[in-house]
Amino acid sequence: MSPPAASQRYPSPSQPSGEVTDLKSQLRQLAGSRAPGVDDSKRDLFKKATSDIVLKKMCYLYVGNYAKGNPDLSLLTINFLQRDCKDQDPMIRGLALRSLCSLRVPNLVEYLVGPLGSGLKDNNSYVRTIAVTGVLKLYHISASTCIDADFPATLKSLMLHDSDAQVVSNCLSALQEIWSLEASHSEEACREKESLLSKPVIYYFLNRIKEFNEWAQCLILELAVKYVPSDSNDIFDIMNLLEDRLQHANGAIVLATVKVSLQLTLSMTDVHQQVYECIKSPLLTLVSSGSPEQSYAIFSHLHLLVVRAPFIFALDYKHFYCQYNEPSYVKKLKLEMLTAVANEGNTYEIVTELCEYAANVDIAIARESIRAVGKIALQQYDVNAIVDRLLQFLEMEKDYVTVETLVLVKDLLRKYPQWSHDCISVVADMSDAPYILENLIENWEEEHSAEVRLHLLTAAMKCFFKRPPETQKALGIALAAGMADFHQDVHDRALFYYRVLQYDVHVAERVVSPPKQAVSVFTDTQSSEIKDRIFDEFNSLSVIYQKPSYMFTDKEHRGPFEFSDEIGNISIAPEASSDIVPAQQFEANDKDLLLSTDEKDDNKGVSNNGSAYTAPSYDNSNISSQMQELAISPAPPRLFCESTGDNGLDSSTITDQTHAESFHSLHRIGWSIYKLQVFLLCLKGIRSIIKLSHRVCHKLFIGQGTDKIESGRAEYVSGIRHPI
Amino acid sequence: MLQCIFLLSDSGEVMLEKQLTGHRVDRSICAWFWDQPDSFKSLPVIASPTHYLFQIVRDGITFLACTQVEMPPLMGIEFLCRVADVLSDYLGGLNEDLVKDNFIIVYELLDEMIDNGFPLTTEPNILREMIAPPNLVTKMLSVVTGNASNVSDTLPSGAGSCVPWRPTDPKYSSNEVYVDLVEEMDAIVNRDGELVKCEVYGEVQMSSQLTGFPDLTLSFANPSVLEDMRFHPCVRFRPWESHQLLSFVPPDGQFKLMSYMVKKLKNTPLYVKPQITSDSGTCRVSVLVGIRSDPGKTIESITLSFQLPHCVSSADLSSNHGTVTILSNKTCTWTIGRIPSDKTPCLSGTLALETGLERLHVYPTFKVGFKIMGIALSGLRIQKLDLQTIPPRLYKGFRAQTRAGDFDVRL
Repeated sequence: MSPPAASQRYPSPSQPSGEVTDLKSQLRQLAGSRAPGVDDSKRDLFKKATSDIVLKKMCYLYVGNYAKGNPDLSLLTINFLQRDCKDQDPMIRGLALRSLCSLRVPNLVEYLVGPLGSGLKDNNSYVRTIAVTGVLKLYHISASTCIDADFPATLKSLMLHDSDAQVVSNCLSALQEIWSLEASHSEEACREKESLLSKPVIYYFLNRIKEFNEWAQCLILELAVKYVPSDSNDIFDIMNLLEDRLQHANGAIVLATVKVSLQLTLSMTDVHQQVYECIKSPLLTLVSSGSPEQSYAIFSHLHLLVVRAPFIFALDYKHFYCQYNEPSYVKKLKLEMLTAVANEGNTYEIVTELCEYAANVDIAIARESIRAVGKIALQQYDVNAIVDRLLQFLEMEKDYVTVETLVLVKDLLRKYPQWSHDCISVVADMSDAPYILENLIENWEEEHSAEVRLHLLTAAMKCFFKRPPETQKALGIALAAGMADFHQDVHDRALFYYRVLQYDVHVAERVVSPPKQAVSVFTDTQSSEIKDRIFDEFNSLSVIYQKPSYMFTDKEHRGPFEFSDEIGNISIAPEASSDIVPAQQFEANDKDLLLSTDEKDDNKGVSNNGSAYTAPSYDNSNISSQMQELAISPAPPRLFCESTGDNGLDSSTITDQTHAESFHSLHRIGWSIYKLQVFLLCLKGIRSIIKLSHRVCHKLFIGQGTDKIESGRAEYVSGIRHPI
Repeated sequence: MLQCIFLLSDSGEVMLEKQLTGHRVDRSICAWFWDQPDSFKSLPVIASPTHYLFQIVRDGITFLACTQVEMPPLMGIEFLCRVADVLSDYLGGLNEDLVKDNFIIVYELLDEMIDNGFPLTTEPNILREMIAPPNLVTKMLSVVTGNASNVSDTLPSGAGSCVPWRPTDPKYSSNEVYVDLVEEMDAIVNRDGELVKCEVYGEVQMSSQLTGFPDLTLSFANPSVLEDMRFHPCVRFRPWESHQLLSFVPPDGQFKLMSYMVKKLKNTPLYVKPQITSDSGTCRVSVLVGIRSDPGKTIESITLSFQLPHCVSSADLSSNHGTVTILSNKTCTWTIGRIPSDKTPCLSGTLALETGLERLHVYPTFKVGFKIMGIALSGLRIQKLDLQTIPPRLYKGFRAQTRAGDFDVRL
């Protein structure tokens, strides 16, 4: 870093304050002294500085910051620091030692060993505390020097015998770090590391846990998590020792205690349940008393607990009601909690509450709450009331409410087909669906999103099967435009539809618009294995990201989120979403497919300019007559890849999918016409916001199993979720 | 553990940087952070391409901490909260100028609070002994004498004592101990006027200036109303478990002895009855505020604030008592003060909707503020405060106060 950075840290001359201006001028001198040949003035300043402790501190800070860049010059400061290490005042001894260790210049380590050794034996605990941390710093600069000086052994004896709690806790943290780094190439370190987890050591710490400051307590509790108890008495002893830690004012301690309790009792089911009862109220208090940031972290953990044991919070659902002033990240987690705790007893209240949010000023939360209502509806058996509520949403005539509700209605209808009559009656007659579609198709060129164009194609197909005479023209235009489309997926899908139609209209209908089947359970987005792993990593960042740590710390799992080691080239595309992965997989066979489809088109004499398809003679009989000439080209995987991948099927299976299987899966993703009509008629109501309708369009028409990818994508659009 | 702490001003400028470990964190991380979209930036824990970031925002200042290793998230957040508390305590508030004027204090404090990425002492009482807070006297001294030191010459004895929150032997000519009950009422009234949730979050705050090593016992008349207590580390656990007695050796000076919740209260002291009817592009608004259950003391500083929906193009609101202000960001605040005895305060007026809108579909939430001195709405009462050895000239005092926390009335 360059010298100007130093002056940046201090205020501009316009705001002078006695102490600071004085210091600033002196430090300016100091900065100037970095030029070769003026070392003497620096030395002078240090002499002057020794008289004043604040100035000294600032000099230490300065030296610490710039030593790495100028190792030769920092050699000059060693003398003063070493002298200060022998000062009478323990505070100066401590400060000097801390600065000496913070220089972090490899060729100066020889000067560290002496002061550190005497620091560890100092009669003042403040100095010892700093010396212990200094040993760790030394280890990071030069591990061999640290080991050769036998510091770890000294730390160990200090840890077990020192009277000062802070010294002991620093020893613990230093030793943990040193031994776990050494363990890879030294058996002794490995043994030592395990000895930290032995029963006497653990009890030594737990028995005196109250003497430590709160941060050290966290450290000890983390150590205790790794301890494997010998028998059930052991477990109860520890639990008793830690009982009152749950009442501590520091949230970090409470969470660490919760983790210890949960981990210890994993094997004992009934005690484990009791633990849930015990930890409930401390956690809930933490949530309501802390700052929003703390609440956020705790809610993430509560969410994890609720998923494992929904019953424990079933009666406390009112804690998760959103207050108006809370930041939206807390509200969002609260909504998730409400969804998770909903059961037969409290659904009515929860849904009533959620419905109030739908009219909220905060649009993002309104959307989320409607989604939450939908999730609850899908979990519950009695959905009468909920469906009524959803229908009320439709009457609110707010575009975003309508959009979210329609998506929900779609899911609900798939689970409860019997409700379709109610829903449809709300939106009255459905006669002009083809015409609305026609309008959309006529504006094909203006539609920028390939996604929407894809779904327009599918929609036109489905509509065609229900009402051929009215839709035929529109379908023709759509297919022609689709095949002329520059986007490969749109092109392929249009071509696929065209060929299926040519092959047999009934087969096409079975493929595109199969009879609907009620869905009983929607697959969870996270497997239970992953949930268990996250649970094992309770009280870590994993919980907040809702991903086990290997997913975000291992390079292979980082996915689209490229972690570069150089900070210089930070670049992140917030749009990078889960759909990137399938897209990449198709790239490999992209090229030859492109060729093959084009070639086939040429061979069969199908022109892409579209005029042939818009001709009035284009009808069913025409298609079937052509059917003989044109067989569906065997296995153009890309066609299926696109549609199946989009529909959330396991993408790894896609590439080798056989023809038959593809048909089968297309069959499964079919979508029946009345939902199309529901949508179209709602669309009628909100025609003024036609842009928005595109989102509905692509959400509605995409079939089964799309929930995850689709909602993810939609959330990027609305900026709610983030690509982590 | 934490690798670096940054303090950013509200314009995103890096005011202060404190590297904690050998792995330096480049400042460019702050620029990256600042360029993130707001909804992402406001999250307390963020994954950047190189580091995990913890952040809290206090009074426009962003406290940003970076780490590259797994650590308990709450530890990072709690620590930053503590740093913010201590700084605002030392500087008498938090803002850009205060931080810039007191760089040295801030650095000194950070130096003592965290070393090598691991938090050390965050106990304000101990820090106060190591580093004297800036005040007029020290500023005068430094100007007059040219001696700029604000560091006490002696090391805090508490750092090494077995009661880490208390200096070993403070001496006072007059011994004083004051107990404050400070309660905040959180309530939600839903659209049908029902009280959905009503609870009180309370704190027992103490201020003690006692000579020697006092051992105090505080008892409540009705401890059974309390739920979910949280104690200062000085409180002994067993006496509370067995007899609901708070037995402790207090820190010196001001501190928070305990916090608690009282849930499932039946009543709020105030009622708010909002009504909005909309027809052909205009809405009629009327809001009534009155006393529902008289707490026995005067309800003061009553305010009502709400955010007008985006689709409102203009508003004309007036009241028969108090003042109404509408800010440019469409926040409307009605300051009532005390409820007059002769009339019911009423806010009324019309809202004009944007053209094309017939009816209002998005409704505001009313936030109610009030303050009641001299009473704790939870009903908690302090019975007595005993000292094991009574020092000469002892003054004891109790006080109670309730104010509105998050009191939402939905429409």
